[in-house]
Amino acid sequence: MTALVFGGAASGKSGWAEDLICTLPRTGPLIYLATMEPGGGEAAERIRRHRALRAGKGFSCTVERPRDLAGWAPPAGSAVLLEDLGNLAANELFSGGAFDPEGAYRRIRRGLDRLSEGAGHLVVVSGDLFRDGVDYPPETGAYLDLLARLHRDLAARADRVTELVCGLPVHWKGGEV
Amino acid sequence: MILVIGGRGAGKRSFVTDVLGFSPEQFAENGPVLYGLEELDPLPPLEALLGRAVVVCREVGCGVVPMDRGDRDRREAVGRLCCDLAREAEAVYRLQCGLAMRLK
Repeated sequence: MTALVFGGAASGKSGWAEDLICTLPRTGPLIYLATMEPGGGEAAERIRRHRALRAGKGFSCTVERPRDLAGWAPPAGSAVLLEDLGNLAANELFSGGAFDPEGAYRRIRRGLDRLSEGAGHLVVVSGDLFRDGVDYPPETGAYLDLLARLHRDLAARADRVTELVCGLPVHWKGGEV
Repeated sequence: MILVIGGRGAGKRSFVTDVLGFSPEQFAENGPVLYGLEELDPLPPLEALLGRAVVVCREVGCGVVPMDRGDRDRREAVGRLCCDLAREAEAVYRLQCGLAMRLK
């Protein structure tokens, strides 16, 4: 199955997504697919917090994939938790060569397709960045449009789409209603 | 009148065409579908909107309070107008990730 779990900052989406993926029956390993560029202090702090959160939940390994998602093939029967899509989109759009939103979209889309086809289960965590009404500079606007497009794509073919609010799930598709 | 709300890129336009069944040509200044209420300046009075079949507005209230007084007033007015519209509407849909949830 494929699931999209989204919500605002500190809404409890990671913990909920981890609990979800741990309950899914699988024949292969449970893999945490990290997209954050392991940078300095704040990123390191966040990574520490998330590692502690995951400890004891049975994850077999962490795969670091800050970009080029399609360059990694998930083991058959695995359950993959991708965290998070917003970081991956930012890395694909803003680091490296020319500013190319369409290219970034195609690369990420290819990676997501490969994951959902190759893994037994894919759970994608992403942020809700779209409702503040602020007019951003064009590059930031293009980033938001890229992420929103990926959200729509994923939601259309996902079995479950869940918004987290204060740690509580709001079921947009699949799950309890 | 049906009110459709959602953030940037949430799939509001496709919902109005694909699910509610309106054509792109009906997204006109005086047509049945008013798309982009949040961009109109000045904002129309409530009574002028109730005659529309569909009013579509972007959610703009979930961010830091704007520094500029005009932006603050504007954000406030859009939010209050949507509350009034929702009260009068026969249906209210909220879009997220291209999916619709009926709130009313």
